Amino acid sequence: MKEKIQQLQRDALATLQNAASLKELQDVRVTILGKKSTLTEIMKGMRDLSPEERPQIGSLVNSFKEEFERSFAERQRLLQQEAIAVKLASEKIDVTLPGRCSARGSLHPVTLVTEEISDIFSRLGFSVEEGPEIEQDFYNFEALNIPKDHPARDMQDTFYISDDLVLRTHTSPVQIRTMLKSPPPVRIIAPGTVYRRDSDLTHSPMFHQIEGFLVDENVTFGDLKGILTHFLNEFFGEGLSVRFRPSFFPFTEPSAEVDIACVICGGKGCRVCSNTGWLEILGCGMIDPAVFASVNYDSEKYSGFAFGMGLERIAMLKYGVNDLRLFFENDLRFLKQF
Amino acid sequence: MIVTYNWLKEFVDFDFSAQELCDRLTMAGLEVDSMVEIGGELDSVIVAKLEAVERHPDADRLTVCQVNNGTDVVQVVCGATNHKAGDLIALAQPGSLLPGDFKIKKSKIRGQESAGMLCSEKELGLAEESEGILILPADLPLGRPVFEALGLKDYQIEIGLTPNRPDCLSVVGVAREVAAFAGKPVQLPQVAVAESGVKIDEKTSILIENERACPRYAARMIDAVRIGPSPDWLVRRLDAVGMRSINNVVDVTNYVMMELGHPLHAFDFTNLEQGRIVVKSAQQGAKFTTLDDQEHVLTADDLMICDGVKPVALAGVMGGLNSEVQDTTATILLEAAYFEATGIRRTSKRFGLHTEASHRFERGADIDMVPVALDRAASLIAELSGGAVLQGVIDNYPAALKTPVLSLGVARTCQLLDIQLDAEGIAALLTGIGLVVETLDAERLQVTVPSFRPDLEREIDLIEEVARLYGYSRIPVTMPGGAIDAKLPPKKQRVQKALRHLMASSGFSEAMNYSFIAREALRKIGLAEGDPRLSLIGILNPLSEDQAVMRTSHVPSLLETVARNLNYRSLDLRLFELRPVFTSAENGAIVEKLTLSAVMTGRRQPEGWCQSSEAVDFYDIKGVVETLLSELKIGGVAFSAEATQPYLHPGKSCQLFSGEKSLGFFGEVHPQVTANFEIDQTVYLLEIDVETLVGLAADETKYKQLSKFPDMSRDSALLLDATIDAAQVLDIVSSSKAKLIESVTIFDVYTGQGIPAGKKSLALRIRYRDLDKTLTEEEVSKAHNKVINSICHQLAAEIR
Repeated sequence: MKEKIQQLQRDALATLQNAASLKELQDVRVTILGKKSTLTEIMKGMRDLSPEERPQIGSLVNSFKEEFERSFAERQRLLQQEAIAVKLASEKIDVTLPGRCSARGSLHPVTLVTEEISDIFSRLGFSVEEGPEIEQDFYNFEALNIPKDHPARDMQDTFYISDDLVLRTHTSPVQIRTMLKSPPPVRIIAPGTVYRRDSDLTHSPMFHQIEGFLVDENVTFGDLKGILTHFLNEFFGEGLSVRFRPSFFPFTEPSAEVDIACVICGGKGCRVCSNTGWLEILGCGMIDPAVFASVNYDSEKYSGFAFGMGLERIAMLKYGVNDLRLFFENDLRFLKQF
Repeated sequence: MIVTYNWLKEFVDFDFSAQELCDRLTMAGLEVDSMVEIGGELDSVIVAKLEAVERHPDADRLTVCQVNNGTDVVQVVCGATNHKAGDLIALAQPGSLLPGDFKIKKSKIRGQESAGMLCSEKELGLAEESEGILILPADLPLGRPVFEALGLKDYQIEIGLTPNRPDCLSVVGVAREVAAFAGKPVQLPQVAVAESGVKIDEKTSILIENERACPRYAARMIDAVRIGPSPDWLVRRLDAVGMRSINNVVDVTNYVMMELGHPLHAFDFTNLEQGRIVVKSAQQGAKFTTLDDQEHVLTADDLMICDGVKPVALAGVMGGLNSEVQDTTATILLEAAYFEATGIRRTSKRFGLHTEASHRFERGADIDMVPVALDRAASLIAELSGGAVLQGVIDNYPAALKTPVLSLGVARTCQLLDIQLDAEGIAALLTGIGLVVETLDAERLQVTVPSFRPDLEREIDLIEEVARLYGYSRIPVTMPGGAIDAKLPPKKQRVQKALRHLMASSGFSEAMNYSFIAREALRKIGLAEGDPRLSLIGILNPLSEDQAVMRTSHVPSLLETVARNLNYRSLDLRLFELRPVFTSAENGAIVEKLTLSAVMTGRRQPEGWCQSSEAVDFYDIKGVVETLLSELKIGGVAFSAEATQPYLHPGKSCQLFSGEKSLGFFGEVHPQVTANFEIDQTVYLLEIDVETLVGLAADETKYKQLSKFPDMSRDSALLLDATIDAAQVLDIVSSSKAKLIESVTIFDVYTGQGIPAGKKSLALRIRYRDLDKTLTEEEVSKAHNKVINSICHQLAAEIR
């Protein structure tokens, strides 16, 4: 009986090793362990054994079963791996074919720069305000220290809706509207659509600006330089050269134009910067006391600064767009690039 | 404003190169727009010496010259006769480009080599006419460019002046600024008028009737003038600052205006009836012809210079044709006056006459410059025209304008600019630009503003001057202190931003069309008479008829955008705009209504080997709407096929309602409308009122507990009348109180074979699940039968 089991074990393990597929392997298992197998016969014959022999043979059978199961599992894993390898080898695809995709949309470059600029200023504590595009003369001009019959009105060619209503020529009226409703301190930016009666290669009758202003006690010209230098470095990159030079806006005094080192040539001089190495990027200044007077702010107690920039210009520099008209032609081939 | 480098040098002795000068001007607030070298292109025309001059062997009228150019001796053939050996001449070397695009080349003239040309003054653009070649002074260095050697090299500097700086509308004015940053004094031209003949007041008189509009009027008379061309230096100088030469008298008035900044006018005295001047307001409706031959209808607001009978000039703007200086003019009345700024501006605007004179007067001229400019011009006219200045001057200046005296706080200046300067430091800066500063104490300065700076009216104007003169670049870079009160953006801004990003992620590209459109554009979308969107807000001064009215709808511009893109062969389009439309309310108030509009057309998926090439349909745009609503957590929106828009397909469009409130429209664009825009593919469009959407958007998300137990689904196909909407079926499901229903899906809609005419089959899958236990077959069947029975009962449906 003992030899019989040992012989069975040798044969069984050899058959396992010879099984060439998972199917054959299963068959071997049934042959060895199934109801009609030699092992089952042996087990059935156990009741005829003497009580001394029974545990011996029983333990022999158990160890055979364990050994068989271990070998079976091993052989099974091997065969499975082989099967997978064969399957994988037959399933090679062209990974360079384009993937399946749905239609891709895009935001307008003006929206993208507006969001980026708003993000930078919101980290500095500025909130966003909006105002109407059809604006009263008072908010667009009078309250901003641009009286009727003043040459400063020539700085902005205006579309008129009526004697008293204009298409706003800048986002500055939002300053007036905001200051009239909220007392200082204020930190506001105001992006928006503006209009000027001018249309050629470098002027669009409709374009976008972002306005910003800050009013508090003890705000200085140094603070104006600080905020704008920080912004320009965030937007165009650290280490960018920035210069402030005197200019004139009716609603700020002192006023400044801000230039950055040309982002195209790095300041060496090129066509974009007219060989000056500098690009005019925004206008700014300390808010004129006349503006404070029209919004009932006490200019003895408070001071502040304001700035404004053209968003198309910023987008043109950021993305290297060389034609302003592209922003309003809405050619999908242009829009999809952003 | 154009000045030249050399002209500035006449008044300030500065050491800057032209480029340095431009940089300094820009940083002082006088932004240099351009700098052009005058004569720079003639650098290859050099000073040379004639070593030998011989007759050409084969041409009597030509000479063959041996020319020493400083390094070599070259041979040049010349046709002139006024030259001899030993003369210095201007040699245009081969490669030179002379005025009039005349290129000099090496050549052979009648067999003789000629390496260049000996130039005349005319050929160099130095004179209108000239005889023979230019013989140069004997002491010039050989080989140097002629323009440089003659001191004619100059730089034309164009400054983009801001409107607050009328004082810089002259060479002297710019020189004052240069003097300030160069730390040198300004030397004004010295004027001494040689007078002769009778006294001026025996010949004429000046009467100012409107002293408010004309606070000062001065005149001189010059007799026995001969009108003729101006000398070359004057022509050249006017040309350098962009002015055309007219004649010796007019040129002097322009020259003095450019030099000193004060406009002048010369009248032909014989044309002044009664020989006198009256300054008064025009007669309403009277006609007047200015010297550009344009007739204007005057208003009582226009100030006129008149003789004893009639107007002869539009004060401060332009002279009249009736008193213009002509070739025969012999006696001149020269006007130097000061006019009030806003009146000149109104007149200039009214007649569209923007002149050098009106430009200066409307920005604010220098009243003290009146007698100076008058004397300067009178003496120059006498000098250039051979005339004689009559004795005396009439200077009618009834009430001297007050000189403003301003107080400037030292601490305030330093605080606002964040600089450290004491009273003396500030005074030194302001004195440098000609202000008179008195130090009252350590804290306060008293500043007397000269008449040439009308822009300095308030303390802040002086603070700006301090900042400018101190240098913006020296002001420190700091960050503001103070409390920050930064709230989250308001809901409207957040929803706008979310909408843009949702549209982009749904495959739409953001477009930006002009807010103004053509008046007819709205007709093209078939709006019916009486539609409020035909109450247009017009622009009084549009650039063109295509941009004449504010758009009350995005639809025309978006369809034009579609047509344009289709022309560019972009056939699969998804575009959106999120901008206001402009409408008038019934009370006339203007309403800017923020609107989201979008169009889609072409393939549903981008072209590709594994992509479907099916075209988009109604349910694609509806899916977009549903995505927006779901992302903004707006529930309970009804889609009504009733009363949509005239530009939408009546059977494939709908209106969105939240209760009674209309949210917008979407659907297929009416084929007639696409045809109107020459679009030959089906376009789907949506329009949503963003303000209403913002009102409905929910800010909060509430979590619903998940069940740990399995779900069970039941499918039922129902046979219904074809007229019954899916919404009616779904409403019954959602209103049935079976709380076990987790979701319901319509997974098939079918008409055709096997379905009777007028009927359709709708297949529903309802999924059941309980939060607390595993459902039994019986529970689910019971719930499902109840729902289906209720549909069958209410909608006369049958189970298939």
